[in-house]
Amino acid sequence: MNSKFEKEAEDDLINARNGRDTSFFDLTSIDVLTDDDLQLIFDVARRFRHFKTWKFGFNRGCSMINMFFEGSTRTMASFDLSGKQLSMDTSNISKGNSSAGKGESFLDTAETLDAYNPKILVVRCSEAGVPEMLSKHVRASIINAGDGWHEHPTQALLDALTMLDYFETTDLSGKTVTIVGDIVHSRVFGSLVRILKMLRADIRVAAPETFLPAYVENFGLKTYYDVEEAISGAHVVYALRVQEERGSNGFIPSLREYSKMFGVSRKRLDQADKDAILMHPGPVRRDVDVHSALVALDNQSRILQQVENGMCIRKALLWLLASRLDDKVKEVRPG
Amino acid sequence: MSTLLIQNGHVIDPANDIDAPNDILVRDGKIVQIGKGLSVDADDVIDAAGLVVCPGLIDIQVHVREPGREDKETIETASMAALAGGVTSIVAMPNSAPAADNQTVIEFVIKRAREVNLVNVYPTGAITSGQKGDSLAEINEMKRSGAIAITDDGVDVQNEVVLRRAMEYAKTCDILLMSHCEVDNLTDSGVMHEGWVSTQLGLPGTPAVSEDLAVQKNIMLAQMTGARLHLLHNSTKGAVSAIKAAKAAGANNITAEVSVQHFALTDEECFGYNTNAKMYPPLRSRDHVDAIVEAIKDDVIDAFTTDHAPHIEPDKLEPFKHAAFGSIGLETSFAVMNSYLVKAGHISLSKGISKMTNGPAAVARLDKGSLSVGADADITIFDPDENWTVDAKQSFSKGKNCVFDGKELTGKVHYTIVDGHVRFKQGDIIR
Repeated sequence: MNSKFEKEAEDDLINARNGRDTSFFDLTSIDVLTDDDLQLIFDVARRFRHFKTWKFGFNRGCSMINMFFEGSTRTMASFDLSGKQLSMDTSNISKGNSSAGKGESFLDTAETLDAYNPKILVVRCSEAGVPEMLSKHVRASIINAGDGWHEHPTQALLDALTMLDYFETTDLSGKTVTIVGDIVHSRVFGSLVRILKMLRADIRVAAPETFLPAYVENFGLKTYYDVEEAISGAHVVYALRVQEERGSNGFIPSLREYSKMFGVSRKRLDQADKDAILMHPGPVRRDVDVHSALVALDNQSRILQQVENGMCIRKALLWLLASRLDDKVKEVRPG
Repeated sequence: MSTLLIQNGHVIDPANDIDAPNDILVRDGKIVQIGKGLSVDADDVIDAAGLVVCPGLIDIQVHVREPGREDKETIETASMAALAGGVTSIVAMPNSAPAADNQTVIEFVIKRAREVNLVNVYPTGAITSGQKGDSLAEINEMKRSGAIAITDDGVDVQNEVVLRRAMEYAKTCDILLMSHCEVDNLTDSGVMHEGWVSTQLGLPGTPAVSEDLAVQKNIMLAQMTGARLHLLHNSTKGAVSAIKAAKAAGANNITAEVSVQHFALTDEECFGYNTNAKMYPPLRSRDHVDAIVEAIKDDVIDAFTTDHAPHIEPDKLEPFKHAAFGSIGLETSFAVMNSYLVKAGHISLSKGISKMTNGPAAVARLDKGSLSVGADADITIFDPDENWTVDAKQSFSKGKNCVFDGKELTGKVHYTIVDGHVRFKQGDIIR
């Protein structure tokens, strides 16, 4: 690639951004996003997707630290690669190599890392609310990469982008999204339901009562115990993983029975709209959440497109948050 | 001989049905005269014009943390906080380290309180050895040493047969048994009230039924054994309706309290992962809070308490799931009651004071809580209309973890008098 192409690529992105900034400094929840923020993130992400792994110079001199207190494959790898493709210096802290193992609190770890002046701290942990708590104490922008049962906002952004691009629409009004699986332990659900609300989708949820949190219908959705009824006529079938590591043991008698009652099979998917797509946040438990044949090969599956969109969504956020055009600075609580 | 005259105040003494302008004369730590326009030459005079004068407040659920966790609170700092809140008598919970499950700890608490000499401190003993819920502690020994009640405090006795025997034994010793009502298996990993707010925050919830079921169990065993049972910090619709039914059925051996935060605040305080709003019982949803207020108006509730629970800052800077349970409250309880019940139009000021004076005195059988001639001169003087904003950092308590931090309250204590001595005056502790 030559310098002419580099100029063209950067100009393309600068045009897509069109002088805009996000309304927020920390992405702790979908609740912080405005409609304009969504538009901006999607506009920029689509252009990053076009340039694939091209290395941009936008964030040169900016550092990013991934604080992953809980295991991750795709989220950590995609944040790290996204940072590098924006010319950022990146560092990855995981549970095994962090001082948390020595008894240091999350806050002390974050404040220590913040003293290295990173622009971005990406946080994943098994306790809800940690990203929001840290965001009040550090100068770096916090991006929530999954907190307990609460939220996983970048997953919802990439899911929304996948749906909007497939349907070639600007919102999801008139579209029915059916979410199947372990709702109560799912941070993916926490963010997905919020962004689907913003995009005006009709939302259905299919799960045994043991997987439904209290007053879940207050999100503005309909619950079903019969997965086929829930899938009937849906435009998106979104399967969630049964999360044994986050406490689903005892909520269902066995994975075998769950798979028979709620697993997404060819026959069940055929109840959906003829142009319906199948989505899953990964990692998939084949033949439990989704029957094997459907996972990657089936032309209705969008699971690998979700993964690809994860890269460009994260790149968009890193650029927007680390390189603000308006020079606004986040206010941090003293002490 | 020393005398103190409190002039021109509006005296509210629910025990004696007094709610009128009056003067009070104190001599040698006792109330000697109450009446209009007393003209006596006293050593000290307090002009209480525009202020309300009432019996010193009594709080029957306070965690003083001494012995063992003096980094969180001591009997001295808890006493100072009490004085600032107009509280002259506190009942100390037994979850110290070591636990107050033997006479040594009870005697230590009494000795420390005497040395500190600021407010009256009444210790309680554990029901079971080490508060473990297995075998009975030496209840009669503790009573003889001065324990006024037994309770396993924040860890309810889960095993029903142990609870039954504890009640039978408490009855034998004629000592009050106080129960924190919770079924551990239903609480599971819950860290806040289970409801719409916990769902939005993605936090494991504690269902109201965890408390309801334990309250039912305690009431039934008290009805069976005849033991004197006091139900600590009730917070659910189910709890207060069970208490109401039991009292209507004539159960005069059962009393119940509400901690002031449970009629004032809802679980929405937990938004933003505010760990100061993390406590047990958890702050409940609006429907439960409304039921608690109705129960108060119906006189189902005998006393208001704080469940004062000081913690060091790092314990509250943890993720919500791991943060310590509890809020301090001694310095704010009167103002909270005044703001959320009296000013909100639910009950009269006299009724509110009653639930913080003669009400708790009757529950714990303390010879306190009135302004009768001959009574100990424990007196609180406050301005019921003064607005102020809570700044937890300014607390006398070592714990700065206050769920009311930053809230505007109405009602400010000006003087707190214990045994005839002015111990708190316009913001300062006087030794």
